[in-house]
Amino acid sequence: MNNGNIVEIKDLKKGYDKGRIIALNGININIKKGEFVSIIGPSGSGKSTLLNMIGALDTADRGLISVAGNNLTEKKDLSDFRSKEIGFIFQLHNLIPNLTVLENVIIPMYGTGLKGHEMVSRAIELIKYVKLHDKANRNPTELSGGERQRVAIARALANNPSIILADEPTGSLDSKNGQMILQRLKELHEKENVTLIMVTHDLKVADMAQRTIEVLDGKVQN
Amino acid sequence: MSFIKLMAKNPFRNKARLTLAVVGIAIGIATIVALGMVTEGLKVSIEEQLKAGGADFVVMKNTSSESSSYTIKDNRVDEISKINGVKQAAGIYTSSRVVDGNQLGLAGISVKDLNMLGAKMIQGNAYSDDKNELILGKLAAEKMKKKVGDTLTLNNDKYTITGIFETGNKELDATGVLPLKMLQAMDENNGKVHFIYVKINNNADLKAVSQAVEKAYPGELTTISSIEDFQKANDSLNMVETASMAISLLAIIIGGIGIINTMIMSVFERTREIGVLKAVGWKSRRILGMILGESVVLTLLSGFVGILLGVVGIEAIIMFSDMAMVLTFTPALALKALGIAVIVGIIGGIYPAIRASRLPPTEALRYE
Repeated sequence: MNNGNIVEIKDLKKGYDKGRIIALNGININIKKGEFVSIIGPSGSGKSTLLNMIGALDTADRGLISVAGNNLTEKKDLSDFRSKEIGFIFQLHNLIPNLTVLENVIIPMYGTGLKGHEMVSRAIELIKYVKLHDKANRNPTELSGGERQRVAIARALANNPSIILADEPTGSLDSKNGQMILQRLKELHEKENVTLIMVTHDLKVADMAQRTIEVLDGKVQN
Repeated sequence: MSFIKLMAKNPFRNKARLTLAVVGIAIGIATIVALGMVTEGLKVSIEEQLKAGGADFVVMKNTSSESSSYTIKDNRVDEISKINGVKQAAGIYTSSRVVDGNQLGLAGISVKDLNMLGAKMIQGNAYSDDKNELILGKLAAEKMKKKVGDTLTLNNDKYTITGIFETGNKELDATGVLPLKMLQAMDENNGKVHFIYVKINNNADLKAVSQAVEKAYPGELTTISSIEDFQKANDSLNMVETASMAISLLAIIIGGIGIINTMIMSVFERTREIGVLKAVGWKSRRILGMILGESVVLTLLSGFVGILLGVVGIEAIIMFSDMAMVLTFTPALALKALGIAVIVGIIGGIYPAIRASRLPPTEALRYE
C-alpha cells in the first residue's frame, strides 16, 4: 500500500468467452484507506467485474491489482484475504434461508479461529449495530427486504474487514428502505473509517460518496 | 452454532427430498440388517445345537466332495461307534412336513440316543422305536395346539404324541422327533442319515477322536465341533453370508447413486449460496467438508432408520410366517450397518462436494 492507498489497480484487463468479451480494458485506479467511492456506469460497463476483482472473486488476465497490501495477481488461494479484508454486500441479500439471523452473521467467522461463544457474542454485537437484536433468532424469510439487507451488512462486518464492497445494495429495495441502508453504510464509513466501495447505476446514490468513478466499456472515464 | 451443527441442519431444508433419500438408503440398510440377523441367528442356533445335549461333535457329509448328496449311510454310525475313544454315536435323519397348514421340522433318532439332543421331557414320555409315535417340541406343541395323547397325520399315517420336550433352542423346540426308521421310511430313504452325533469317552481327546473319524472316511465325512467347523463343512451358511455381502454391496452402489443424485440436486439449488460462502472467505476444503458432512449426516440418519426398519421388518415377517427361526441382533451388526451408511455417505457425497468446492465464486453468485 503506497501513499495511503488501500486499492491500487494498474492496467487491469479482463475478458470472458476466450477474450471475445472484454469486460475491463486497462483500468487504472487508486483508492485511499477510509475513502467512500462509488463506481457508476451502465449495465455491462464492467463495474461489477471491477468490484469482483477488488474482492478477489475473479482473477485478472493482465495488469496489477493490489488490495490492502496483497498482490492479488500473484496469490492463488485468496480465501484468507477475502475472509480478513473484504466484506461483501450484494444486491440480493443472499442470506441462507434455513439459518437464523444470528447464524447467518456467524457464517463468515468459521475458520477464523474464534471460539463458539466468541462468534455468538460478536454476531450479537453486529445484529445490535444494525438494530435487529429482537429478530436474532428469526429466519430471513420472516424479515422485510430492508431488514434482510441490514443482516447482510452485519454479515459483511463479521470479520472486521478493511474494505466493504457493495454491489447495488439498494437495487432490490424500495426508496425508504434503500435510504435507510445507505444511511447505515454512510454511518459505518464515518464512524468506523471503513473503506467503502459501492457499485450503483443510480446517480443520486453515487452522490453520497466522496468520489465517483465512472466506468464505460471497461475503461475508467476521466 | 458449531460447524457440525450447521452440517446437520442443512439436509433438513428440503424435507420431501430428505424423506425420499432416507427411505431409499434405509431400505438397503434394513435388508442388510435383516439378513445379518438371520445369518447371526443361524450361527447362534447351530452353535446351540452343537453344544446341546451330550454330543461332543457332529459328523456330516463332506459337501466339498464330488457327491452332491448330503446323506450318510447309516452303517457308518456303527462303524464310528467302534472308533477308539467314541462312547456313543447316534444317527439323525431330518425332514419336514406340512401338518394342518403348519410347516413342521422333523428329526428321526433312535429312542436310545435321545439324550444326544439334550431334550428334557416336560410332559409324557419318549416314543417306542417300533410304534407310530413321536414327541413334540414345546413351541411346536403350542403352535399346533397339541398335547400328549393327541395324534398327528404324517404321510397318511397317524402318529400318537407321547411327550412334549424342551431344549431351550428355538428351532429344535419347534420340531417333532420320531423313531429314526419311521422317518427314513416316510421319506423312502432307508439306511440314510444326515448327521451322526458323537459322544467321546471322558479321558479321550476331542481333537484326536474327531481326526480319527475324518481319517477313517477321507473326503466323505467331516467333523464339526464349532461354528467355524460348520462353515468349513457346509456351504449353506457361507452362501447366506455371501448373499448378504452381495446385497450389502448392491445397497452401497444403489444408495451411493441415490446420494450422488440427492447431493448434486442440493448443490445445484444452493449454487448461489456456495458463491456467497466463497465470497465471505470460506476455503474450498471447508465447502467440501460441509457437503460431505451433510451427505454423511443424511446416510447416518438413513442407517438408524434402516436398522429400525430391518429389526422390526424381519421380526414381523418371522412372526407372521410362523417360522421357527432364531434372529440375533448384535452391536456388531448395528456398527456394520452404520459403517456401510457412512461409506455410502462418503462415496455418494464426494463428487457433489468436489463439484461444489470448485465452483468459481463469480459464476456461482451470478447463478439464478
